[in-house]
Amino acid sequence: MTQAFTILFDSLRMLRASKMFWISLWISALVALSYASIGFTETGLSLGFGIIDFHLPFLRSGSAEAADFYRLLFTDVIVRFWLGWFALVLALISTCSIFPQFLQAGAIEIALSKPLSRTRLFLLKYLGGLSFVAAQTLLFCVVAFVAVRFRLDVWAWPIFWAVPIITFSFSLVFCVSALMGICTRSTVFSLLGSLLFWALTLVGQWTEDALYKMAYVLPGMGLQMDFLAGGMNEVDPSKSADLQRTYQKVNTLVAILPKTRECTLMLKRFIVFDQTHSAHSGRDFNLLLRGESDSEMEKLMQQYEHRHSIAYLVGSSLVFELIILGIAIRIFHRRDY
Amino acid sequence: MSDSAVDISSLHKRYSNGTIALHDVQLSVPHGSVFGLIGPNGAGKSTLIKSLLTIIRPTSCKGKLLGHPIGHQATLAQVGYLPEQAQFASYLTGRQVIEYAAGLAHQSTSQCRLRCQTLLEQVGMSSHANRRISTYSKGMKQRIGLAQALIHNPQVVFLDEPTDGVDPEGRMVIKQMISSLRNEGRTVFVNSHLLSEVEQVADHVAILSQGHVVAQGSIAELTRKDARYEISFVGKLPASLMNWCLERHMEITHDRITCRAESAAMVQPLIDQLRASLVIIREIKEQHFSLEQLYLQVLESTRKNVSTAP
Repeated sequence: MTQAFTILFDSLRMLRASKMFWISLWISALVALSYASIGFTETGLSLGFGIIDFHLPFLRSGSAEAADFYRLLFTDVIVRFWLGWFALVLALISTCSIFPQFLQAGAIEIALSKPLSRTRLFLLKYLGGLSFVAAQTLLFCVVAFVAVRFRLDVWAWPIFWAVPIITFSFSLVFCVSALMGICTRSTVFSLLGSLLFWALTLVGQWTEDALYKMAYVLPGMGLQMDFLAGGMNEVDPSKSADLQRTYQKVNTLVAILPKTRECTLMLKRFIVFDQTHSAHSGRDFNLLLRGESDSEMEKLMQQYEHRHSIAYLVGSSLVFELIILGIAIRIFHRRDY
Repeated sequence: MSDSAVDISSLHKRYSNGTIALHDVQLSVPHGSVFGLIGPNGAGKSTLIKSLLTIIRPTSCKGKLLGHPIGHQATLAQVGYLPEQAQFASYLTGRQVIEYAAGLAHQSTSQCRLRCQTLLEQVGMSSHANRRISTYSKGMKQRIGLAQALIHNPQVVFLDEPTDGVDPEGRMVIKQMISSLRNEGRTVFVNSHLLSEVEQVADHVAILSQGHVVAQGSIAELTRKDARYEISFVGKLPASLMNWCLERHMEITHDRITCRAESAAMVQPLIDQLRASLVIIREIKEQHFSLEQLYLQVLESTRKNVSTAP
């Protein structure tokens, strides 16, 4: 226990000493504050703690739409873009040096000469790296939690699901960073390798995502993409079997990759405010903003968002992470320093 | 428990590129002694220490550290280590480096706090303890490195080039600490290429060359092996006495006889012969090899053996 505490506490010290940690923290605080500044009035929406008002009657104070808007803003915009993208990139930049620095000649020897197994040492160091994102996300969630309480009069505990989910999403890239760091002992290679891998997984996920829309969502609406002339043609939904077969093949291929993006977006399924759960819950954010309602489309979008089960997303990603960590630990274990 | 803190009957290390770093090393380090491991650069000194601490995985190893097989993890709780050119996280202060090492060695905060202060004072760093490592000189880092190696009261301490980059005052402090560790009954294993320093602090030494232990034993034993007596005389030696000396492999110059002898008793027959021949003895001098001379001689003979080997 003392050893675990020592290594994790050291990680905390390392984070505190990192400029990037404070930069991320300040930006996080600003984003969270901006979220908190959004309010609802009798006539619609207000920004900047009431400085600017927008006349949007369907988002008036107390309406179910307003509550869903506030929730969707969190799950579909802030989580998707800030926590799921920018904050993770900043975290990766900050943490990519953890293993290369740890393996520096003259530093690693001290840790290895202690009564501590290499596996435990590696895993504790790894957890220390994850704490970077966990700390950032926790702070963000606390502000968002207070904001939701203040704006919607709801104790939105599900917001805190963001901490484990975002940390898990980050871990799927960080494990590659750790492996690269162990193999090359280079911060640059660790960062570039993990970013490159992340990009690769995103391309896989976007391809799968786009193919699903083309194979299921559009035909469900009686539409089909015209790849030659551009635009859309009307089509019989039953005639999209070829695209569906292609989708199935791609879906099988990307199954081995970690689902960083989908794991982040999975948060939407967890963050539900019971007290304000309206008939509009689970709606597409763009449709909600436009005030449109299309139950068929809503249904298709729901199917699209839930096309992969949580068990599949977490399970397949976790298997990938465990394999990468297993390789990294094996290399760390066998290497001479 | 055996008399040896470190007892290696065979240690072999071959790297994946085929380089043999250690070749069937046999070594014994008595409990409560200061043991110096000397050898030229690339001889395998650091590899040997790292192998004992499992920082490097030996290809094969039969031996014990504090009575347990080498590689026994729990034993490492009784071992302190200062690596060559130790690097510490730049965001830590000197005190935090020591606390970190204590934590990794299973020491509780309360155990560590008092000892940390004592050690900081011993290495002369108490007034700089709360400054960040990044502001330290190399010598200051080395002092902190020594303190972190001792924070958990280890039975055996491995110091790899401990005085490297340390100023004369710091070297004196480190030498004093090594002596006091021996006085407390701890075993200190020092790697160094500074022979005069090893000679000052070590009781036992081993000379490592190209992965082989080419000599080992107490300094007194090793230097005594080549002990000589030089007897200066006045006048000329009678031919019969000259023959007597040459038969016994003594070297004769115009006014001096050099006789290899480990003790004064062995030189008494020569003195008797000189007195019997009425040769006037001007001076009798006992000559011991210094560690440096011994080291150079051993390395030279090793190189000759290697070059003449088929």
